Amino acid sequence: MSGGEAHISVVGVTLAAIFLASLGGMLWWMLHPPAPIGPAVARAYRGVSALKRILVPVKGTGYSDRAVELACRLGQEQQAELILTYVIEVPLSLPLNTPLDQEERRAREALERAVELVKLHNLRPIPVVRRDRDVGRGIVSVVTDYDVDLVVIGLNPRRVAAGDSIGRGIETVLRRAGVEVIIDMVPEE
Amino acid sequence: MAEERTAIAELRRDVTVWGSYMWGFADVGADTFVALGLVFAFSEGAAPLAFLLAGTVYILVGLAYTELASAYPVAGGGQYFALRGLGDFWSLVAGSALVLDYTLCTALFAYFAVTYFSHFVPALAEATLALGPFEHVRIGLALMTLLLIVFLAWLNVRGMRQASLLNELIGVLIILMESLIISMGFVFAWKPELLMAQWSETFANFHPRQFLYGASLAIISFVGLESISQAAQETRRPATIVPRTSIALVFTVFLFAVSLSVLTLGTVRWEVFLDEHNVGRSVAIVAGHLPWIGRVAEDVTAALAVLVLMLSSNSGVMSVSRVAFSMSRYDFISSWFERVHPQYRTPARTIVVFSTIAALQVVLASLTESAIDTLANMYAFGATLGYTLVMISLIRLRFTDPYTPRPYRVPFNIPIRGEGTTVYVPVLGIVGLVGITAVLVIVLFTHEIAAVAGPLWVLLSVLYYAWHRRRRGLPIFRSVRRPWEREQMAVLEAAEEYDLLEQYRIVLAERDRWRKRLSHDADTVVE
Repeated sequence: MSGGEAHISVVGVTLAAIFLASLGGMLWWMLHPPAPIGPAVARAYRGVSALKRILVPVKGTGYSDRAVELACRLGQEQQAELILTYVIEVPLSLPLNTPLDQEERRAREALERAVELVKLHNLRPIPVVRRDRDVGRGIVSVVTDYDVDLVVIGLNPRRVAAGDSIGRGIETVLRRAGVEVIIDMVPEE
Repeated sequence: MAEERTAIAELRRDVTVWGSYMWGFADVGADTFVALGLVFAFSEGAAPLAFLLAGTVYILVGLAYTELASAYPVAGGGQYFALRGLGDFWSLVAGSALVLDYTLCTALFAYFAVTYFSHFVPALAEATLALGPFEHVRIGLALMTLLLIVFLAWLNVRGMRQASLLNELIGVLIILMESLIISMGFVFAWKPELLMAQWSETFANFHPRQFLYGASLAIISFVGLESISQAAQETRRPATIVPRTSIALVFTVFLFAVSLSVLTLGTVRWEVFLDEHNVGRSVAIVAGHLPWIGRVAEDVTAALAVLVLMLSSNSGVMSVSRVAFSMSRYDFISSWFERVHPQYRTPARTIVVFSTIAALQVVLASLTESAIDTLANMYAFGATLGYTLVMISLIRLRFTDPYTPRPYRVPFNIPIRGEGTTVYVPVLGIVGLVGITAVLVIVLFTHEIAAVAGPLWVLLSVLYYAWHRRRRGLPIFRSVRRPWEREQMAVLEAAEEYDLLEQYRIVLAERDRWRKRLSHDADTVVE
């Protein structure tokens, strides 16, 4: 066979062009894979996605609202649950189940505000009111009961500005919660 | 016992993206050289439609392989996927289909390498012999094929490695040659009026059974997807690399097969392929119709075809050893197959046993009316049975193992809530399963030899398996318990897929917490 005669057609030229473009495009895409990720980067990258239950202690103040908002943003991608916790500190001089109407009303109001904020992000809020002798210990017990992955605490800037420590309660959480803790403080203008 | 035997120490290599692609292409790319003439001989002017139909099913199967190979980058391919998805027994069935296909791959591609070679030595194809009731035995082709199989077996026993550079070089030459034939052919030799005339003639006197037979043979132009999982096993970062290389492989092979068939229909009269000698050198015949360079293109194509078909035949010898090793490791066949040669450190027993089976297939096929047709329709049976089980495994694994991260997921899924995670029901996977099952049914109904010999092979494998398992005191129809999660973590770590490893750990931890919560869910609002 010494080859046929040349016969050019528009459809033939179009088919050849489609073939070459498809082949070239496919091979080009294949030869450009994304860069590799090391183990440490992978752990950090995926670590945040693993935060499925985030606890935020609420007080109905600006800085605690800010902490709720931050927690919502951290949990947005993986649709985390927000454990909104109000700890009613009961003095040792009273039984733990003593009715404390004013404090309970404050807890309800603070939680309602926080729940509203969480719902704005289409996340699931779990409001919890816990009675304890110590705020820090109360938060730690909720961390354990609800299998929490992260605690986000809003810090009162005035208190720090006044030269006080960050607070016994926060120190207890840092030492005993056994999970990741983020402390947020926005300086007052 | 099972835990000890499944502990894996894998060696990952720096297979480049191109190297990984060429690994697959050296296997699948040669298929078109085999299938083109055969499909035209049966589907006549409707051959491009046959390629399109088979190619569509193949794309769906290819996407399933891409998902599974990147999620489970280990040796064994379809046999391993079936083991994870369906358990020991069905894994044995898939494994036996694969072993059948690899031995046929050795036999069929060696036979085709010789027929393309006969382009230069026509006497080989002309030498026939009458052996009792078997008239016109193509003795020249059969003897040369047997010699080639013996040579390949000897090379593999001696441990002569197929240099990856040579593999890549031949692959590049084939891609360039095929691209040149297709693009030059469409521009200078393709006649739309010839295509329309042949198309109309075929449909004016349409034979559905013959068309379906051709379509089921067209599936062999896409056999070799197993090479994707083999490449995955030895490639670093398979989750990143394999989806790209395998999707590129699936689509480029599809593109070559469909384009070549459309080009052929507008360039050559399909009746040319009624002669078996022409079936055996179909792509070279099409290349011979190119203006100006036809003669040279025909010779170069035939020479390259001989090389690539020999590589494909050799890949059959190598791949069957891998599957046999995997089957032996999971106690489906005797550990006798696992032993390596004391001097050459190669799986000599496996190579000799399965090369002998391949040689036997050539001898038996040569006694039939058309050796090419017989080998090809057996090949189609093995491939479609194996692919059917892989598609079922894909669907089942979405439910039973939704936790293993899938860097690539077959598109179009329906998400439903699973045990602590989301299960994605694969719509395209189901469509693919229907498609490949239809092809399997067509093979069984239209391929007289495959309909008997294929199931018989599987039955013999099952009988051997039952005997072996009974002897080892293992269940026949039930599966042995294996630490899959631990194995999966070891595989991901060895593959340096740290991101996937983190994802896997997180999702398993989430599942465990979900299970814990189920037992004492404390969803109290105010205590």
